Amino acid sequence: MKTHAATQAISGITPGKIAVWWFLASEVMVFGGLIGSYILARLGSAGWSAEAAHLSAPMAAINTFVLLTSSMTMVMAFAAVEKGNDRGLRTFLLLTILLGVAFLGIKAYEYSSHIMAGFTPSTGPFWSFYYTMTGLHALHVLAGIIINLSLFVMARGRLVNGHRVELAGLYWHFVDVVWIFLFPLLYLT
Amino acid sequence: MSSERAHPNYVAIWVWLVVLMIAGVAASYLPLGKGAVIALIFAIAATKAVLVALNYMHLKFETGLIYAIAIIPIVLVLAMTLILFPDFVFRR
Amino acid sequence: MTESAPGPAASAHATEVHHGEIGIWRTYIFSTDHKMIGRQYLFLGLFMALVGGFLAYVMRWQLAFPDTAVPGFGFVGPETYNVVVTMHGTTMVFFVAMPILLGAFGNFLIPLMIGARDMAFPRLNMLSFWTLAVGSLVLLSSFVVPGGAASAGWTGYPPLSARSIYTGVTWGLNLWLLAHAIEFASFLMGGVNFLTTAITMRAPGMTFFRLPLVIWQQLTAAILFLLSVGPLIAAAVMLLMDRIAGTSFFVPSGGGDPLLWQHLFWFFGHPEVYVVMLPAVGFVAEVLPVFSRKPLFGYRWIIYSTITAGILSFVVWAHHMFLSGMDPRLAMPFSLTTILISVPFAILVFAMIATLWGGSIQFATPMLYALGFVAMFIVGGLTGIFNGSAPANIQVHATYFVVGHFHYTLLSGIFFGGFAGIYFWFPKMFGRMMNERLGKIHFWLTVIFFNATFFPMHLVGLGGMMRRIANPLQYEFLQSLQPINVFITISAIGLALAQLVFLVNLGWSLVAGRKAERNPWQATTLEWATPSPPPHGNFDALPVVYRGPYEYSSPEASEDWLPQDRLLVARSG
Repeated sequence: MKTHAATQAISGITPGKIAVWWFLASEVMVFGGLIGSYILARLGSAGWSAEAAHLSAPMAAINTFVLLTSSMTMVMAFAAVEKGNDRGLRTFLLLTILLGVAFLGIKAYEYSSHIMAGFTPSTGPFWSFYYTMTGLHALHVLAGIIINLSLFVMARGRLVNGHRVELAGLYWHFVDVVWIFLFPLLYLT
Repeated sequence: MSSERAHPNYVAIWVWLVVLMIAGVAASYLPLGKGAVIALIFAIAATKAVLVALNYMHLKFETGLIYAIAIIPIVLVLAMTLILFPDFVFRR
Repeated sequence: MTESAPGPAASAHATEVHHGEIGIWRTYIFSTDHKMIGRQYLFLGLFMALVGGFLAYVMRWQLAFPDTAVPGFGFVGPETYNVVVTMHGTTMVFFVAMPILLGAFGNFLIPLMIGARDMAFPRLNMLSFWTLAVGSLVLLSSFVVPGGAASAGWTGYPPLSARSIYTGVTWGLNLWLLAHAIEFASFLMGGVNFLTTAITMRAPGMTFFRLPLVIWQQLTAAILFLLSVGPLIAAAVMLLMDRIAGTSFFVPSGGGDPLLWQHLFWFFGHPEVYVVMLPAVGFVAEVLPVFSRKPLFGYRWIIYSTITAGILSFVVWAHHMFLSGMDPRLAMPFSLTTILISVPFAILVFAMIATLWGGSIQFATPMLYALGFVAMFIVGGLTGIFNGSAPANIQVHATYFVVGHFHYTLLSGIFFGGFAGIYFWFPKMFGRMMNERLGKIHFWLTVIFFNATFFPMHLVGLGGMMRRIANPLQYEFLQSLQPINVFITISAIGLALAQLVFLVNLGWSLVAGRKAERNPWQATTLEWATPSPPPHGNFDALPVVYRGPYEYSSPEASEDWLPQDRLLVARSG
């Protein structure tokens, strides 16, 4: 029952897009709060680099590559549906989903190897932040995978339009951007 | 909404992202001072984020309102973190 | 000279949607109609107000008559007192004030006032209400779990809240955190809905500077909440990790810092009190012109002041922490910003007073409450200056002076602003008029007992009475203040009983009140152009807006009110 054509709206923006950007703004505050706390705690302490050295930067670099690529496939899915290419849409959505699952898989492997080496969340402040930040991020990746999976299923029945893919893409790219900051903050410093 | 608007070359952006990622990893091995390395790595990360935001999230093509919604929280987070430096980083 | 004629609306044909056959569940329980959802929020909030009010009664009885059993509750020991204090604050702020002021009125009014048929996302709207309902249940359930409900204050400071062994509360605090998470999700959904609706669904001619102030205040509150709650969510995640995963984000013995929680909490906490205040300011700004038959004075100034206060609210938070042990160098800047933030609020109050000047004042119940708001808010604002200045704060921090301050500011919003809103929009919400005589009795009892309850708190606070103590008589230096405590408690009970007048009025009017016409108050905003209550779809034809919202006593119209959607036709000849 929307009557966009007759309303005094700011032209060119759909409600869905505004809603998703506002949601992302609130998410920036959540991760920003967490990351800011990490930066403050780290700069105010000593010895965290030694702890961080126990992380595997190469494995995380591969994970970063995985997530970056999944961002590309996600936006390619959007480009495909805009051109009316249904097959391309499903292919790229599937790739995005698989890359997301790969990310989580590598993360799970990382977690288990840390825990087996004796590094749990309560081992020390660095590890508390590491698990909390990457854990919250991983939950967001999982949510994104579920959203993309729903789109994929709907696409088979031709119930997906470009707008929905675009909105899901905004969320997925945001999750990627968070990782773009988590990776150097945790693994490279 | 299936407009045929011009969009960036997504693959080219991806190439840049990968290049920057490798640069960031390499930077962590550079024999510079700790502060310089951190600044460099952070700048590289910020560049990657901006590339994703402008091109993949189409921020380049959006109106001022969307820009504001995207930028204001970042400014807020930075302000909050900086304001707290005296209490956590510059402890006496 | 011009005559007024009904405006040519956006479409010639009526577009009312017939929804008569969707059944009771979809009409009353799982409705996607913003008006029904608004009513649901109102009743949920009023129910939780009974819970929060009962807890206040328990608190006050214990303080006035320590170590006697509280009638209707039982004996209150120190741990129980902590639970009561905590849950009173949590319930009132998050499960009463926000649901009523934002959830009920925001949902009900925004589409109507902007000339839309519903919110941008009706199903998300329904989800946001039911999410809050689940959150309320989770909070209530924490009373009956082993270990009892949360007892670390509504502010949940660690290390007390971080380790169960300090409070003896295990499940209760985890459920408390969960209830907050659920409630944050609900208001995030609602806030996104409010903003998207107002940005994209305004009727033709409804530019931003023709919006009623209610809308401006709801939008500002939504933005403040959306942008401030993030760091607290981050902190809540860290606190949960401290509680269940053995981390030490906030526990000093493990290398953590309790101040990190305080900073993150109050970064949200301060904008949050404006999230609660601003909707009430909006209601009062709406009511004053109607019952003065005069345009609102300084419409744009009020908007600019609101935006300024909103921005400033993000950089005042540490005035809650002057005595926390934070870096003393932060004290002066935060004192400065806090004193500064009183300026936009002062402008707001002056504009409201100027609205009254020269007006033809009608003392209907909504107007009495609106005037009460202005008076009570001034008192609260003035004590805020003392609290906000670091040197004075040293004396009054964590005393009842602060309790007096925030009850004057918050309750001027919730009580006086909220009741102004309820009495004013009740005809539109429920299609009936409330009883005017009962309304006036309710007002006078409330304003007398409110001041009798909360003003003396400033006195006992200056006398040294600390917050959150279960038994003032334990301290020799407080014993001489006890008569004031007894007086406060008796007044508080009077205040509670006075609300019975409102509840009786509410119940009676809902079933047997006089049927309300479209525009019983002769007001100009768009909601008064619809039937009372509006049908599904709100408007026959979407209105077209020609002017701002406060054209009272306009020379262009023969009546003393000129609706926003009335097209004026020049008489020829």
